[in-house]
Amino acid sequence: MVESVAVPISVYRYDPGRDAAPRYVDYTLDMPRHTPVLTALLRIRSEVDSTLSLRYSCRSSICGSCAMVINSKSRLACQTQVGPELDLHGRIVVDPMRNQPVLRDLVVDQGPFWQDYERIVPHLVPDPAHPMPVGKPNPMTPEEVDRFYETPRCIACGACYSACPAKEADPTFPGPMALAKLYRFVVDPRDGARRERLLRIQPGGLWTCLRCHLCTSSCPKDVRPSERIRDLKELAIQEQGATEAGSRHAVAFKENLHDRGLLNEMRLVRQTDGVVGMLRQAPQGLRLARKKPELLKKPRRIEGQEQVQKLYELLEDEEGGA
Amino acid sequence: MQRHEVLVIGAGLAGQRAALAAAQAGRNVGLVSKLHPLRSHSGAAQGGINAAVGAEDSVETHIYDTVKGSDYLGDQDAIEFFCTEAGSTVVEMEHFGTIFSRAPDGSLARRPFGGAGFPRTIYAADRTGLALLQAIYEHLGTEEIQTYEEWDLVELVFRDGRAQGVVVYNRRTGEFEGIGARAVVLATGPAGRVYSRTTNSHSSTGDGIALAYRAGAQLKDMEFVQFHPTALLESGILITEGARGEGGILKNASGERFMVRYAPHVQDLASRDVVSRAIVTEINEGRGFPGGYVHLELMHLGKEKIESRLQEICDFARNFAGVDPVTEPIPVLPAQHYMMGGIGTTMRGETNLAGLYAAGEAACVSIHGANRLGGNSLLETLVFGKQAGIAAAAYSATVTDGTVLPEEIEHAAAPVRAMMARTEGAEPLPLRAEMQAVMERRAGIYRNDADLRAGIQELFALRAKRATLRIVDRSTVFNLNVTDALETRNLLDLAEVILAGALARTESRGAHARTDFPTRDDAHWMKHTIAGYNPLGPQLSYAPVAYTRWDPKERVY
Repeated sequence: MVESVAVPISVYRYDPGRDAAPRYVDYTLDMPRHTPVLTALLRIRSEVDSTLSLRYSCRSSICGSCAMVINSKSRLACQTQVGPELDLHGRIVVDPMRNQPVLRDLVVDQGPFWQDYERIVPHLVPDPAHPMPVGKPNPMTPEEVDRFYETPRCIACGACYSACPAKEADPTFPGPMALAKLYRFVVDPRDGARRERLLRIQPGGLWTCLRCHLCTSSCPKDVRPSERIRDLKELAIQEQGATEAGSRHAVAFKENLHDRGLLNEMRLVRQTDGVVGMLRQAPQGLRLARKKPELLKKPRRIEGQEQVQKLYELLEDEEGGA
Repeated sequence: MQRHEVLVIGAGLAGQRAALAAAQAGRNVGLVSKLHPLRSHSGAAQGGINAAVGAEDSVETHIYDTVKGSDYLGDQDAIEFFCTEAGSTVVEMEHFGTIFSRAPDGSLARRPFGGAGFPRTIYAADRTGLALLQAIYEHLGTEEIQTYEEWDLVELVFRDGRAQGVVVYNRRTGEFEGIGARAVVLATGPAGRVYSRTTNSHSSTGDGIALAYRAGAQLKDMEFVQFHPTALLESGILITEGARGEGGILKNASGERFMVRYAPHVQDLASRDVVSRAIVTEINEGRGFPGGYVHLELMHLGKEKIESRLQEICDFARNFAGVDPVTEPIPVLPAQHYMMGGIGTTMRGETNLAGLYAAGEAACVSIHGANRLGGNSLLETLVFGKQAGIAAAAYSATVTDGTVLPEEIEHAAAPVRAMMARTEGAEPLPLRAEMQAVMERRAGIYRNDADLRAGIQELFALRAKRATLRIVDRSTVFNLNVTDALETRNLLDLAEVILAGALARTESRGAHARTDFPTRDDAHWMKHTIAGYNPLGPQLSYAPVAYTRWDPKERVY
């Protein structure tokens, strides 16, 4: 028999229609260390307080229902075991997902999440130049299937959406899941709207990502949305050139490092936002420059800068060959 | 009141395929589900979907394998239609965007599955259900369909000799509402949660089957419950048959590959009922591991194959059992997995009630008979989901709008309101657990007269508690107690039907194994069990099996 330990669990409870404010209710249950947090919550429902509300269904990390915030991290309750959480935090604190309004207890309104998903036109668009073969599947090699990376594993749980600070700062940002899904369609050889998809997502979409990778670290299925967003950025620049502030910034960043091995902040701002944009940012720039005057100076070329250029060449060779 | 020409309940593969067919026929379609469609349990299907598309394979062999797998209880005309539709169904799903695994030449990759004569199972790694569910959801998004997500089905409404619509509970508002419909398609999935040890999701509570039963629909072959041989020991989480299809083997505590004794020709890839009984026999005869389980070994397949072809399985074993299949065996034990029975339908999804259609695991056509072959259930959802959608659309053109009257809504809501008014009585989840314990003890893999009779008595005793069901939660927002109560009521009805059918069937056939009647008895029992509702308990009758070309033979693997 596996030994049980006492597990203190603090659960966010809130019924907006009846409670003045959210509160945490503490429960302590005895259970083996490998017990999933979902099982602990369901035991609260069946043994202590059946009014606790949450979403759950498959309990095997495939339906995506039970995403929530456990000890400050967005993840699936079914996939999180209590033991390691106790080791790290001494107890388990369960909150509803972020970036979505709370309906009740651990249940959030996923309406905004699904609306963002809909924005990327989440279905194959027929390609008039390449109609589907009649009565036969489209041929696709294992290598072409590999190009989707892990995006088909996405279970739309919303953990990445909950974890995303760009979504929090900018509600118009579609969030990591929608962009990973967009990538899935962009690389699909059967899709006829690749270019339109890449053009459409650029303004206010793609370049808002902060590259913090919290989506990737919170994804229960290893979809790695931030890597797919990076791929989309590259594809977008290939498709359209650097036409957005975001893409110009990325290109400028690369050129700066390539030429001198250091960032030239003045050049970076000018390349990203143009002269007019630069003037608009002048007051902020001057305030910064008062504290760090070296920002206004053109940086010297760093020692061994040729090696930086070599690194770039190596990387480009590798990607070209891949 | 909302109104639709065709209203589909349940948004898994069968429901979405039905909705798509009805929409393509130009109907105004509504789609109700207690989950977001992408959270449906179809997404948990792992191994694959059968279609005899290989050069060496044939539709004829698929038909034969399915007939044999059904232990000659499947309707052969339906099986012929089913297997004939397989190829075009898979192609259609590929065109909708399914990302299938591929062979080096670019064709659809196939893997061997239990009970099949050839590698016939087309797959998307070990998440074929998810891949299909994503694709049909994406494609359905191109049609104008109104969806009602996270609404519970409370009652089916019949008046003037036909379906009129449904009463539903809106979890967001706590309101009972009527949705009128000319035709209703039930695609609400199975009732796996009558058992405690099941691979099924918590949502698999047979809502549509139970409500159809109470409304007068005939349930067919409900005693045939499939137990999947390989579920994780503690959680009952599914380990796909694809794991054995890729070369995984079962071993007992002395390290013996015991399936050699039970199925000398195909060993670990025998039909599911055969493998599950073998595992239980090994354990009962003292050859299991302490605590009662066997090992599924994949290590010899090598890290690369395991991690690419069985990626989800790796995660499941690591996260939910704490074992790494690359280096360790996986402790497994059978668990309830699939219901061959369900709402009796024709090949067009028609039930015995006008305007009511059913498809998918909620329905019983029957193509699986006494035992379903792996890879046939995903195919069933799509083939017969489409048929039900087409038939419901055609029917809806012949009748006037359906309406749900205020008193009908009140009639459906009254019992729930009474449960909310009670301050004492049984809570739904503990009552459900009691029922599950009865079913595990009395109606598992091996059955006998004494157990089944005792089970019926025990369930009958639970009726008194059921009459006192009580809803503690008073909230109008996401009050899961209401869902718990509705589901528990549904499960209790269906548990009775399973036991009654199992007690009456004094033979062993497919998944129904009676230790007191260990052989198949074609003279008396090659017939479908039909259960009709009666407040006192299920009324059983029998219907002939349709057979065309395949005479019953002994089933050897």
